Amino acid sequence: MKITYNWLKEYVYFSLSPQELADRLTSVGLVVADIKPVEDDFCLDIEVTSNRPDCLGITGIAREVAAAVGGSLHFPETPFVTANTEISKFIDIAVEEPILCPRYTARVIRQITVGPSPEWIQKRLKCIGLRPVNNIVDITNYVMMETGQPLHAFDLDKLTEQKIIVRKARSGEEIVVINGARRALFHDMLVIADGRRPVAVAGIMGGKETEVSESTRNILLECAQFEPRQVRRTSRALGIASDSSYRFERGTDPEGVDRASQRAVKLVKDYAGGEIADGAIDIRTGRHETKKITLRMERLHKVLGVEIKRDVVIDILKKLQFNILNDIGNFIDLEVPSFRGDVYREIDLIEEVARIYGYNNIPTKTSITVRGSAKNKYEIVEDTIRQFLTGLGFYEVKTFSIVDISPLQSVNLWSDRVGIDIANPLRQEESRLRTSLLPSLINTKRYNVAHGTEQVKIFEIANIYLAGNKLPQEKTCLSILADTDFLTLKGIVESLLLNLGIPLKQEWTGFNESRLFMDKRAASIQMDNTALGYLGEASRELGFKTLSCLAEIDLNLLIEKSNFAKKYQNIPQHPPVFRDLAIIVDEEVTWSSIEKCITETKAAFLKETNFFDVYRGKQIPAGKKSIAFNLCFQAPDRTLKSEEVDSAQQIILDTLHKTLGAELRKA
Amino acid sequence: MLDTLEEIKRNLQEETKGISTLKGAEQLKIKYLGRNGGVNDLMKLIPTLPVEKRAAFGQQINALKIEITDIIEGLIKKFSSEAIPKVTSEIFDVTLPGKRPSLGKRHPLTQTIDDIKEAFARLGFDVAYGPEVELEYYNFEALNIPSDHPSRTDFDTFYIKDDILLRSQTSTVQIRIMEKQKPPIRIIAPGRVYRPDTVDARHSFMFHQVEGLLVDEGVSFADLKGVLNQFIKTYFGQNIQMRFRPSFFPFTEPSAEVDISCSLCGGKGCNVCSYSGWVEILGAGMVDPNVLKAVHYDGEKYTGFAFGMGVERITMLKYGICDIRLFYENDIRFLSQF
Repeated sequence: MKITYNWLKEYVYFSLSPQELADRLTSVGLVVADIKPVEDDFCLDIEVTSNRPDCLGITGIAREVAAAVGGSLHFPETPFVTANTEISKFIDIAVEEPILCPRYTARVIRQITVGPSPEWIQKRLKCIGLRPVNNIVDITNYVMMETGQPLHAFDLDKLTEQKIIVRKARSGEEIVVINGARRALFHDMLVIADGRRPVAVAGIMGGKETEVSESTRNILLECAQFEPRQVRRTSRALGIASDSSYRFERGTDPEGVDRASQRAVKLVKDYAGGEIADGAIDIRTGRHETKKITLRMERLHKVLGVEIKRDVVIDILKKLQFNILNDIGNFIDLEVPSFRGDVYREIDLIEEVARIYGYNNIPTKTSITVRGSAKNKYEIVEDTIRQFLTGLGFYEVKTFSIVDISPLQSVNLWSDRVGIDIANPLRQEESRLRTSLLPSLINTKRYNVAHGTEQVKIFEIANIYLAGNKLPQEKTCLSILADTDFLTLKGIVESLLLNLGIPLKQEWTGFNESRLFMDKRAASIQMDNTALGYLGEASRELGFKTLSCLAEIDLNLLIEKSNFAKKYQNIPQHPPVFRDLAIIVDEEVTWSSIEKCITETKAAFLKETNFFDVYRGKQIPAGKKSIAFNLCFQAPDRTLKSEEVDSAQQIILDTLHKTLGAELRKA
Repeated sequence: MLDTLEEIKRNLQEETKGISTLKGAEQLKIKYLGRNGGVNDLMKLIPTLPVEKRAAFGQQINALKIEITDIIEGLIKKFSSEAIPKVTSEIFDVTLPGKRPSLGKRHPLTQTIDDIKEAFARLGFDVAYGPEVELEYYNFEALNIPSDHPSRTDFDTFYIKDDILLRSQTSTVQIRIMEKQKPPIRIIAPGRVYRPDTVDARHSFMFHQVEGLLVDEGVSFADLKGVLNQFIKTYFGQNIQMRFRPSFFPFTEPSAEVDISCSLCGGKGCNVCSYSGWVEILGAGMVDPNVLKAVHYDGEKYTGFAFGMGVERITMLKYGICDIRLFYENDIRFLSQF
């Protein structure tokens, strides 16, 4: 809402500079975003919150100034003389939708002269960014800016059958509005019609055919109240918004309608001449009911945390034009003025008092009770992962949850169902909730490569969205992209699991997802028969120049399985015995089957089995490989004898031979 | 007997070929010269021999021991000297750059969220989370924003279906927590939110918020000011001033926008604070009675306050970042600065 400094001064007395005025308005909730000197005046751009339509007129802002600084208000008088002819001679008005149009007033002025409006009106309109059109249109705009009440002038002679009907649009009807837009109208839209067709979309914009032009002689001045939700819905449906719809949507003052009409008629008479038909048409359903509220002083103190004196409270409410009915004791009964539709509860009054009293005059208390707070498991796991990965040189990234529908972005490792689409996307590029974080990490790598960083190690912790019943399942994932080989990233993941207190009992099995991974170089990771995640070498099709690996892990499962309880284990007093062995097995034999076989022998004193090498070469027969590993034997209470280790080792070798056909490789 | 001695020597010579590390050499030493090593095992044989042969065999073992010791110690020396380079006569340049390990970084937005969580944890606030894809009820109705309310214009939203949307604010978490718990409540809820804004230097269709909520008996606006003042001093510094301005949010009443004195110009006015000396950092207010009613709290008994802040905005202010898109491009040259 733009106003000018001098224009405001017409309605309220104050002695503040434009900057002081701006500061004061800001402190009561009318933020002045900008002050611009314009000719001999200043234009103030005020941000009016959606609950305060009363401040969408300069007189409304004047009321706030009066309350804030105490100056007196003086709104313009509107005396005018009418001709003898009754308005009913010229127009017949019917309101078919009284709920959507609670009040409709009309006045007729005849024999006017349409021309430019006076200099002072033009200047003020220009100051606040409105383009002067002609005296009639400018006056309706001027009065709207002054009072916050929109008005519309019709060319009376262009209304067929001398009729105005406020009704719903009929199917097939359409209208060309003043700004030139043609719109089809639908049955749930309220229109102002003449005897034949809609001549305005109620509260939003008048029609082109009946607008005031240079040849207009007689006008009908509409000033009405429309139901806010109806205006809002229609405005959105038609894609037409105006200064008028902006105000009606937020709610106008039901008692301000006729005053604005009279003010406009007076200005028309003064600056366009003509004669005013006698009387006005004012069709109204019921009276505006004045709201009565009781404010309890005790409640005010409780909510604000400060004891404001009763007479201070009453003074503030009076200045805001609340009508005090009763101010005995600790209760204040009052009536709410018609222009304050936003005030209907005790809490609304408390806010009014606090606003004018000044938020900055309310003390800053530090008396809330002491309460301990500990990190929850989710936070502990997240923190541990971030600390671990950044310590290893990984950068955390954050990428968009809404992605495109390309094949890469459609990757879903966790479910067969497709991703969830946004019903009203802004662009194709952001139209679906992602089902994997990896495509975004791949794009992040591409971005960095394109900007000169060839190698990246990145991770993200974020949700993916899997189709569910009512709401989707939001699965929090940890996804990693690293320019390393498979075993390096696998090792990082394994260390991470150990760091979270999760033993390495996962099953790794071959997995295919050609959009992400190299064929036969990826694995799915199962833990307790649940998918923990996926890890593999990035597909060459992705076009990276470095060997990259990708992993996506279910963070919720990590949190569930993580265990930070620790118990001290005695450090072994007796030295371990190590044995390095190399066995020759068929290519198909996996390390995990060897390890499992060794563990299942339950060989005496075997503490650890550590893989260290796989070798294929001249000395090894085709179709076979040599696997070297290290066995660690240890007894808690003594040093082992080599015969004991020998026999355990022999049992292991025998079992490996029997189960997997393994042969000990001779040195 | 001599065969055994010869065999041990041959075995050793064979094994040394495979040794390539200090650790390996040391293990070899234990194997041959340790208490249960091969040489000691031979020593144990001496008492079993006829008396006249004992001396000669003992001498042979000792000779073998010296030989083995020489070989193994030689190895140990060799690998030790590789681990610790020889001191040479060249001038050692202490000014050469250190070999820096490469460290990664938490995303700057994570750092801000962590700092905010830390500051509020000291005031007894727990961390809570809620879904990003939400029922319209939690994003609007329960927060006192009925459909067709003019303030809905301020909350443009991505929809999935009629009554399912992407939350446009983290205030949704307030309702979910209050539905589950009775007062007292003290939480902060960080997370992603979504609004259909065209991306430019100042707007993003996805950004992060941190929501705070405290509900208890006897909580007042003065307490809200106290808590936020504590937070601002902890997070932005002791010299930063705070200012409350009346504003409007459907879910709080009275509502306020909170400004802090511009840290860049110290309140004198610069382009960051639009020459006002103040920058807006959060919205706050007393929980609206209609919100308490929606979660079946007794609004006469309990009062509370809520606040919300934009993580990107605070991070941009803190580091002087002018373009919000940098957070989502994830250029390592950007990420490595924080």
